[in-house]
Amino acid sequence: MATPEDHAESMTGEYAETECADFEARVRRTIYIDHLSPVVTRQVIRAALSQCANVVSVEFIENYTIPYDIPAAALVELDDESQAKSAVDLMRDFPFIIGGMPRPVRASYARPEMFPDRPSPPGSKMEFLWLKQGDPEYDGMNKLKSLAKRQEAENMALIKNILEEEKGLAAQQQIMLDANYYKYNMLENIVQNGTIKNLAGHYRVNLFDG
Amino acid sequence: MGESNENIQFSWGNKRAKGGAKMDTQFYGSFTFDNVKYSLYDCVYLFKNGEPEPYIGKIVKIWQQNEAKKVKILWFFTPDEIRNYLEGPVVENEIFLASGDGTGLADINPLESIAGKCTVVCISKDERNRQPTPKEQTVADYIFYRFFDVGNCTLSEQVPEKIVGLEVNVLLNPEAEQVICYPDQDVQGMNQKVGAGLVAPLPQSAAKMEDEIPVAPFLQSTAKMEDEIPVAAVPLSQSVAIFLPPSVKEEDKAQVATVPLPLAVEEDVLKPTQKVFKRTQSTQKVFSDKMPSKKLKLSQDLTTKNMPSKKLKPSQDLTTQNMASVPDVKVRPVPSAELPTRQADRSKWFKPMPWDEKLPLADKEGKLVYIQNLDIRFGASEIVELIREALQLSCTAKPINHPTYDDPNNGKAYVVFKSRSAADEAVMKINSGLVVGGRPLYCSKGLLKVPKPASGALVGHLTISNQKMNPRQREEQKKAVSTSHCSQPNTIEYDLALDWMLVREKQAMKFSILHKRHAGERKSFAAKMAK
Repeated sequence: MATPEDHAESMTGEYAETECADFEARVRRTIYIDHLSPVVTRQVIRAALSQCANVVSVEFIENYTIPYDIPAAALVELDDESQAKSAVDLMRDFPFIIGGMPRPVRASYARPEMFPDRPSPPGSKMEFLWLKQGDPEYDGMNKLKSLAKRQEAENMALIKNILEEEKGLAAQQQIMLDANYYKYNMLENIVQNGTIKNLAGHYRVNLFDG
Repeated sequence: MGESNENIQFSWGNKRAKGGAKMDTQFYGSFTFDNVKYSLYDCVYLFKNGEPEPYIGKIVKIWQQNEAKKVKILWFFTPDEIRNYLEGPVVENEIFLASGDGTGLADINPLESIAGKCTVVCISKDERNRQPTPKEQTVADYIFYRFFDVGNCTLSEQVPEKIVGLEVNVLLNPEAEQVICYPDQDVQGMNQKVGAGLVAPLPQSAAKMEDEIPVAPFLQSTAKMEDEIPVAAVPLSQSVAIFLPPSVKEEDKAQVATVPLPLAVEEDVLKPTQKVFKRTQSTQKVFSDKMPSKKLKLSQDLTTKNMPSKKLKPSQDLTTQNMASVPDVKVRPVPSAELPTRQADRSKWFKPMPWDEKLPLADKEGKLVYIQNLDIRFGASEIVELIREALQLSCTAKPINHPTYDDPNNGKAYVVFKSRSAADEAVMKINSGLVVGGRPLYCSKGLLKVPKPASGALVGHLTISNQKMNPRQREEQKKAVSTSHCSQPNTIEYDLALDWMLVREKQAMKFSILHKRHAGERKSFAAKMAK
């Protein structure tokens, strides 16, 4: 016979387990979309994915840590795993455009650590200890701290570099696009104002052959 | 611990429909529990282990399924619980009925978690509400006239049409003036034997009621109650029969005080005179609030094993519980003993203030700390736990790593402390040498400066400069923002889009190389340290 206390414990244990299982299931049916335009709303994402998946919820990831203007990102929960797969496949295989061109969005499967409300991995616990000056590990830990800070700085530098690269690409594409537009605009004008006929006559070219 | 569980009297009242997927659920309209009759729409106290204050709710459904007795409880909120959304003055003893849709509206609880009846009178002027008599009002434990919408977190005096799918009139004052609590009975005279049908005619208790001596029917439980009281001057004997004239009224308070019993015990069992104390002494008010009935302790025991409800998660042992209910509690303080315990309080059922509002506020008040170098796998609850264990401080936490840009080797979190001094202390101590799972944490005060999300277009979303467009085209372009498509290979857009896909693959590679290198550096450093 289980005593009431045992019972209570097993209840809480089960509870934690189901919570974890629920969370894992949620992770599996959720996709992560980034390189999103800040103007994109939940409805837009819902509509964009409607061809392959039903959107259950959209949670935009807020930028708290990156001191640069970065694209928006969101965790998008879908009905089930298969929908998540088809959505990710679609966006990996084709340039998928949401809310602006030509830069496509990027999608991947969600991972647990992307969720700000993630539960703890079961059975894990943060073990901590205090170090004082004079402890044998104290200096080592301080060095490790500096290492972490240096790595952080490196990461930020990479982000900065990447964002600049993006800006460069965007500027270059803008020039190309404008040039293309200018070209087609010129062609259209030539056709419309009859210049092309005059030119054809001048060079004795038949415009309409073939 | 639960030795007295089986002693609790229980019987079902009138049956209602059957239901459930396998027709295995029997609904009821009433039941008698520990000799108190509860009916649908009665207001009750519910006790949760570890919480000094009972919750108050209305029974909106009663059923049994596979031996488990359940009640659905529609909640009332105390002003404290919804302080963030509260506007205007609060009437004395005012509580708020949940309405709308969302978490915190109603929950299913084990029937045994009910700790006693509570008299709540609706004083709304709405025509559907039978206006309470002055007497009803004076005996009421609580009054309400406002409704708290748990969906959009707003308070309203407007009586909604329906709450949890029930016509609201059943949730307001009952049609007939009812004798719904002990004090009322006192006024009416006890000889009309349990007129309200409150107390089931069970031998032990009925007899006692007739004698007008509310001797605690469960001596064991009475003894236990004393256990909880620090001044426990009374021996834990079975003979603690407390004599109290149930007709004690306001002016009789002196008499009560002269009852030859240690004060603490007196307060404890003073259910019939609860009100007297409530009106006169605020500390006692809190105390008697906490002790809605002598059953309390029993139900706590039950609570421990019977409260798997996701809201009310039992986690404390009785020791902490005992400490938490010391009676030197002023009006809703955080008792010192309670601080380091897990506060799975009801306020968490709601979305608390959203973080983007909370952070600047906490920053302004100097309570915000930015912690780095955590293990990224851990969630908010572990961080809170860590802070509590390592620093004995309570806080709220939010992991804030950006999935795309932040280095997964370096977990980051915002932590909001209760006060500026707590935050300062935490920063100082953590930076002095807190190592968690081999990672030395470091932190700083205040909010990181992050550019506001741009309202314009994303880098790489182009429009044709100096384009001469007619209004129709412009309209179309606007619409394009809210639409999506797969780029087709015969367009310029497609070529440009492929450029972006190439760039982003390169970027992903760069991040992954850097982060792998970082992980490697950390590993080799740890290996060196271990030597």
